[in-house]
Amino acid sequence: MPPPGTFTILLFGPAQDRAGSGQVTVQARVECTCGELLRALGEQHPALAFALPAARLAVNHALVAPDHRPRPDDEIALIALVDGG
Amino acid sequence: MSVSVTLFDGPLPHAVRAPDAATGSGAVLRFEGLVRPLEPAGAGQPARELEALEYQTYDPMTERSLHELACEILSSLGLHAVRVQHSRGRVPVGACSFRLEVRSAHRAEALAAMTRFIDRMKREVPIWKRPIWRREVSPPGEACRQPPAARSTGSS
Repeated sequence: MPPPGTFTILLFGPAQDRAGSGQVTVQARVECTCGELLRALGEQHPALAFALPAARLAVNHALVAPDHRPRPDDEIALIALVDGG
Repeated sequence: MSVSVTLFDGPLPHAVRAPDAATGSGAVLRFEGLVRPLEPAGAGQPARELEALEYQTYDPMTERSLHELACEILSSLGLHAVRVQHSRGRVPVGACSFRLEVRSAHRAEALAAMTRFIDRMKREVPIWKRPIWRREVSPPGEACRQPPAARSTGSS
C-alpha cells in the first residue's frame, strides 16, 4: 500500500517510451488537484516534461478538469500526444 | 440512428457493408486509413521504410471516447449512422487500421462528419502509434521497437 500522497500515473505512447515504463509514481499532497499533480509530474520526472503542455489526466477512464481532486487509489492516466487513425 | 465502435487486434478485416436500414439515407461514405510504406523519422528527416505501425489503446477509455465522439457528431450533424473500427497492436504496411463509415440524408453532412471526426479523434481519443522501421525488424522472438526519441505518423 503506497503511503498517503503517492499517486501512480499510467503512461502511454511517447511518454511511456521516454520514461521507459508504463507507469510512474508522483509524490503530492493528498488533497492535490489534477493540475497540481501534472506540475508535480513534470518536476519529479523531467523526462516527461515534453508531453505536458497538451496533456490531460484521466481519472478512472474519464478526462477530468485541472481542478479535479484525485484520490491516491484512483486509476490515473496521462493522456498526451495521442495519434489515432 | 445508430453508432457502432469496434476495436480489433491487428489489421481490420475487409469491409462488409452493413445492411441498409430503412433510414432514408442518401449518402454512405467510408474512409479507410492504411499504413503507409514510407514515413519521415522525425520533423525534417528523410522518409524511411516502415514495416508496420503498432497501435496502443487505453481500454476501455479508448472505445468509450470513440463512442462519445461518434454520438456527438451524429447528433450535431443529424447523421443516420456512424460506424467506427480501429486497430490496436501491430498493423503491417498496406493494411487497414482505421475505418469510418457515415450515413446521412445528403452528402454535405457526411463529408463534414468525416473531417470533423478524424480531426477530433487525432486530438482527443487515447490511441497512440509507434513506427516499426523495416531495417529494425528483429529476428523472430526478439522485440524491437523504434527508439523513444523518434516518433512518426502513418495511416490517416
